[in-house]
Amino acid sequence: MGNLSTKIIGVITALLVFISLYLIFGYARIEGTMLEVQKIFYYHVSAALTVYLAFGINCIFSVKYLVQRKPNDDLLASASAELGLIFCTIVLLSGPIWARYAWNTWWNWEPRLTSTLILWLMYIGYFILRSALEDDKRRLYSAVLGVVAFVDVPIVHFATKFWKSEAHPERGAKFDIAPSMLYTFLVALVACIMLFTLLLIVRYRVKKTQARYEIMQQKHLREASG
Amino acid sequence: MKILVLASFVIVLGLFLFLTQVPVDITPEKVSAAVSEAVSKSEATVDEDIVKQVVLSSIEVLEKGQSKRLKYLAAAYLVIWLVFMLYVLRLGQQQQQLDQRLAQLEQTSNGEE
Repeated sequence: MGNLSTKIIGVITALLVFISLYLIFGYARIEGTMLEVQKIFYYHVSAALTVYLAFGINCIFSVKYLVQRKPNDDLLASASAELGLIFCTIVLLSGPIWARYAWNTWWNWEPRLTSTLILWLMYIGYFILRSALEDDKRRLYSAVLGVVAFVDVPIVHFATKFWKSEAHPERGAKFDIAPSMLYTFLVALVACIMLFTLLLIVRYRVKKTQARYEIMQQKHLREASG
Repeated sequence: MKILVLASFVIVLGLFLFLTQVPVDITPEKVSAAVSEAVSKSEATVDEDIVKQVVLSSIEVLEKGQSKRLKYLAAAYLVIWLVFMLYVLRLGQQQQQLDQRLAQLEQTSNGEE
């Protein structure tokens, strides 16, 4: 992807982020039960849905790497996993702040929270594995782990259906919110996805530069020694 | 990229400050006028003063909780943008370091040739 397209994505993302923030604070109706605190919902839920997307991309490119063995697929998979981890961290940090007001506790071991924490830990493991292995083994094993770890994504999504939860709404429950809140949520979701796309492009480029540097360094060492 | 994150951060902070500075729009006079109007339209007999007191004390309760609620809201959005900001700064640093190392490596290779 060229510099111009990245800049265009950057400008669209910036506009969407600004518009979403304006809508959250200036347009969306204040919810009746939790009042202003409910406004955390817009980026908390959008970030959670972006986590699914990020780990989904990681899984797809991990499979692609296992089939075709192209190093670039591994780079894209790991860049996506890294961003998934960042968005998951945001979910795990903003959630407890909301919970402290709504449930009067920072954390409780309810199904969705627990499965999300497990998901986060699994991808931490993914990066520990990557840092511990050399090139080919690193690509192969982390691709396998990327596919295995993705199994937790549907578990997180359907956690409230599998196990009874009083905190998060059950999967399939009627999404009954005021139109102003719905539009705001949709804009925040698109802004989050665009932000993810932009960061993914930048991260992928950094990883490619790093790979290029490592190849050049090895070549240089070989030339120096022989 | 850095500008985007920083600007968003400043906007969120600005909106928070703005929201906490907004003067309370519901004055006791407005409450009295609204209650009188509602009572005059109502067919049931109610004590207007008691209704006014109840409404005013409810508003007071809501206003007291507002600063607490806004603190939670601001904390959540601060955390969200802080994470993004730190990540983008790290990405920028990484790219800068790699560019420097690449340039050094190219320089060394050229020197040896």
